[in-house]
Amino acid sequence: MPTFDFLPLLWWGLPLVAAPIVIHLINLLRHRRVPWAAMEFLLASQKKYRTRVLLKQLLLLALRVAAILGIVLAMAQPRWTAAIGQLLGGGRSAHVVLLDDSYSMGERSAAGGGEAATAFDRGLAVVGRICGELATTRGRQEVAVGRFSRLIPPKDSMPPADGGVVPPAGSEGAAGRLDVSRQTVTPEGVQRIRDSLAAMKPSASDAGPLGALAAAAELFGDGGGSKATQVLWVVSDFRAAQWDSADDTVAILRQLATEGTEVRFVDCAADGAAGEGSTGNLTIERLAMVGGVPAAGVVVPLEVSVRNDGARPVRDVTVDLREDGVGRPAARIPEIPAGESALQRFDVRFQKSGSHVIEARLPADILPADDARSLVVDVVDRVDVLLIDGALADATPGAASRAGDAFYLAAALAPGAGAPTGLQPRTEPPRALATLDLKAFDAVWVLDVERLDAPEVTALETYAREGGGVVFFVGPRTKPDVVNRTLHREGAGLFPIPIAGMVDLLPDVAEQRPDVVVEEHPVVAVLAGQRNPLLDAVRVDRYAAVERGWEPAPEAGLRRLLSLRNGAALMVERSYGAGIVAAVLTTASPTWNNWSRGNPSWVVVMLELESHLARGRRQAESLDVGDPVAVMLDPSVDGIEVDFLVPPDGTVIHQAARPAAAGKMEARLDATNPGAYAVRWRRTDGIERERLFAVNVDPDEGHLARSGREGLEKVLAGVPFTYENAASIDPGARAQNGVSLVTPLLAMLLGILLLEQLVAWSSSYHPATRRGAAA
Amino acid sequence: MTHASRRFLHPEAIARIARLELRARAVVEGVLAGLHKSPYKGQSVEFLQHREYVRGDDLRRVDWKVWGRQDRLYVKEFEEETNLRLALLVDGSASMDYRSGALSKYDYAATLAASLAWLALSHGDAAGCAVFDDKVRASVPARTKRSQLASVVEVLEAPRGGRTTAFLPVLRGLAETLPRRGLVVVISDLLGDREGVFQGLQLLRKRGHDIVLLHVMDDDELDFPFDGPTKFEGLEIPDHLACNPRALREGYLAAVGEFLAEARRRAASAACDYSLIRTGEPVDAALVKFLSRRASMAV
Repeated sequence: MPTFDFLPLLWWGLPLVAAPIVIHLINLLRHRRVPWAAMEFLLASQKKYRTRVLLKQLLLLALRVAAILGIVLAMAQPRWTAAIGQLLGGGRSAHVVLLDDSYSMGERSAAGGGEAATAFDRGLAVVGRICGELATTRGRQEVAVGRFSRLIPPKDSMPPADGGVVPPAGSEGAAGRLDVSRQTVTPEGVQRIRDSLAAMKPSASDAGPLGALAAAAELFGDGGGSKATQVLWVVSDFRAAQWDSADDTVAILRQLATEGTEVRFVDCAADGAAGEGSTGNLTIERLAMVGGVPAAGVVVPLEVSVRNDGARPVRDVTVDLREDGVGRPAARIPEIPAGESALQRFDVRFQKSGSHVIEARLPADILPADDARSLVVDVVDRVDVLLIDGALADATPGAASRAGDAFYLAAALAPGAGAPTGLQPRTEPPRALATLDLKAFDAVWVLDVERLDAPEVTALETYAREGGGVVFFVGPRTKPDVVNRTLHREGAGLFPIPIAGMVDLLPDVAEQRPDVVVEEHPVVAVLAGQRNPLLDAVRVDRYAAVERGWEPAPEAGLRRLLSLRNGAALMVERSYGAGIVAAVLTTASPTWNNWSRGNPSWVVVMLELESHLARGRRQAESLDVGDPVAVMLDPSVDGIEVDFLVPPDGTVIHQAARPAAAGKMEARLDATNPGAYAVRWRRTDGIERERLFAVNVDPDEGHLARSGREGLEKVLAGVPFTYENAASIDPGARAQNGVSLVTPLLAMLLGILLLEQLVAWSSSYHPATRRGAAA
Repeated sequence: MTHASRRFLHPEAIARIARLELRARAVVEGVLAGLHKSPYKGQSVEFLQHREYVRGDDLRRVDWKVWGRQDRLYVKEFEEETNLRLALLVDGSASMDYRSGALSKYDYAATLAASLAWLALSHGDAAGCAVFDDKVRASVPARTKRSQLASVVEVLEAPRGGRTTAFLPVLRGLAETLPRRGLVVVISDLLGDREGVFQGLQLLRKRGHDIVLLHVMDDDELDFPFDGPTKFEGLEIPDHLACNPRALREGYLAAVGEFLAEARRRAASAACDYSLIRTGEPVDAALVKFLSRRASMAV
């Protein structure tokens, strides 16, 4: 059965087919009158040729009607669909339109002034045109429209964002996440679809095509068994970050193509050479604490990182900063080279404990979504640090001893009121590890412990595995075999290295080299570089030597912070679970060295080490758009009614917490907007609680480099697809409805016109030219 | 041909000359300028030959000088001895009114007739004229007087009735009324009573007249160049035909071709000098062609 890409043209053009007949009838009424003498010859001719003349006239009329019909048909762009497909599918075409609404689609056109200022606007226009075209296409045309961000499968069966009635788990498939549910397109329905599209805005998510394509595959699979022509439209900006390395995406597309689905890509990005990314977009890719202790009254260093995706360097970039909604001095970045990032540090001193919001914002550019970033810093009155001093092994818990290593460490972490660090060391004997709630401490320092019992080791390992920081100092009490057996356990335990024994560092009489050598590590970065007189003054007499010939496994991730001049390790660290474990292979007290005896570098390195160890725990929780904002509630002390305040205008979404694991209750909301989310609930004792979450866009989505046709052809090798630009898309120029009949129709039309000319010429009078007559 | 035609007066130019006499004069002057010699001689004194006297010869034509030298009677013969009597019969029926150019067939025929009369009279020959359709509508007998041309023109310009043609009775009547043998020039489109034409011509021929048949046809009638829906209304036949002329042209031209072939054949069988003349042809050119042909026949 033929179908038509421009069916309205056919309806409008069909009446023209009657034009030759009408003209013929009009001509019959408009005879020219000629008085004629030689009537007898005329009558004789008419008598002789009556039948032939009539047939010739009818043939001429038919040819002219056929010619006009051919022109009208050619303009309507007919195509032939397989008869079997028509029989099975009833001429049905199923279109799934996937609209990329990741925030990069908010890129404003550099040209400006157009009717579609952003890529998303152009995408909406394309979807509207597709639906409009389908409404006028012959046959049953079904369409479903979904956005990338909505078609991502839910992470679990938690409540929906609107906090409404919770559907049964698994009841909402891809069909339930569509913006325009699958429906037969009618001219009346097109306006409804367009109205629903008009309200859409690009999301703040970095949703890629994978989830949406999986949903499309599911939708095509739910086609009801009837064989329909399947067309997948992907309306996107085709950023290289999402398409250039997408194996799963390619697999789904290949599967769809194998199943006969026609894949059509419509590029909505602003015109420009694909892959250049020369649009001059600046992105705040990071806003974070960089060390320090988030305690009230303590200077906290923060860092903002700005990436320049443009083709030219950018100078004098001003980053506006706000602290809890109040402006503060801006950070200024002198220059950001093209394609690179630049860091700028700034200090913040929070006067009160509690959650504080730091916001950074760039002047608006072509992609505003990635020009802002927020950070929530939970400031406490003090930060507890646990010092386990082996010297107190036999002492009463809580009774600190000035003579132990803990004294020197406590002096470094909390020098006094004149230099507030926000840290509050607490010295305990080893057995306290099994009794204390270690989660209350930022870090645990284990100082020259003779031995740790299994419960203590287990508690310490659990603490480290969950993100805590642990530091070991060795000393006279330390037994290498005990350490190796209980703490190292051939790499499975906490202690990073096996100890062979305690050895003296022989004096370097000849060269007078410093005993301590600084390695490349953030903790000691402040001491790196030129010779440091403070560190040069450190003398190490004895240390714990590593077993000869021992080499750490590459996967262990062992890093050296400090070394001795003989090449032996002095300070090492490795990751353990989510936490960090460090080992200092000498004493904290001046027993085996003189480092803690009045050397300022001792204080600096210990504070840096403390910040480094506690980084995982202090790191303010930063969520990406699309992540769930969740609070775990204890039903014994917390109420279950929770309010989510959604940025930017603080819209309140009410939700009842649902049972979660371990007898807890959980309230969660998928973050859809960037900014600071507030979660409020009331405890059973009436006290109102609030927790802030910073939700930010994924800065990688701000990479505007495009994949383009060439990139897609490279990535999607073997997957048949069409690639069109939104400005030049012709929804009617599709091949999904069969083979185009335009070319054969035009050939037939040419034949008809030639035949018509031949018949007309044979039926008309052609006077001989003057030259011919003369001849 | 193109160069030669410039010497001739085109029908459009002739049509602008309102008076038929002036038209004829213009045509004939052009003819004389081109020919220098007319084949029609009046009373001639030019010696042709001697022949032996036989009984009955006029004694005034005996050449006595030859008798005096040779003692034998010879008479002198001259090239022309008697005046030509030219009878112009012009078809004035309704079908002669068709025109595609400046001159209708009748206008063309009248111009031809007046021109021939002028030529004849200018050489001292007698010229008469009759215009007929189903009967003779106007006529003037052949005379040589100076005012004869005006009489001929008057006959040609006399009002016509626009009737059908009836050749046989008209030609029969003329055959009986023409007093002496002479040259009869019939100018007609021959549309109508076709059989009667040739019967009448044969009657005239039997009376010893030299018959010239000038068949005047309009260019349209010979070429049928019509296009587009047309309603043809008969000038003599009370009939009409609405048709697409392009479709009928082939059959029409075939019928006209048969008609012309029959006319030529029947004229030859009746010993008539037949000439087909197109109204698109310059009148003087047609006249020259006709006269040249007559001169060649006389030799």
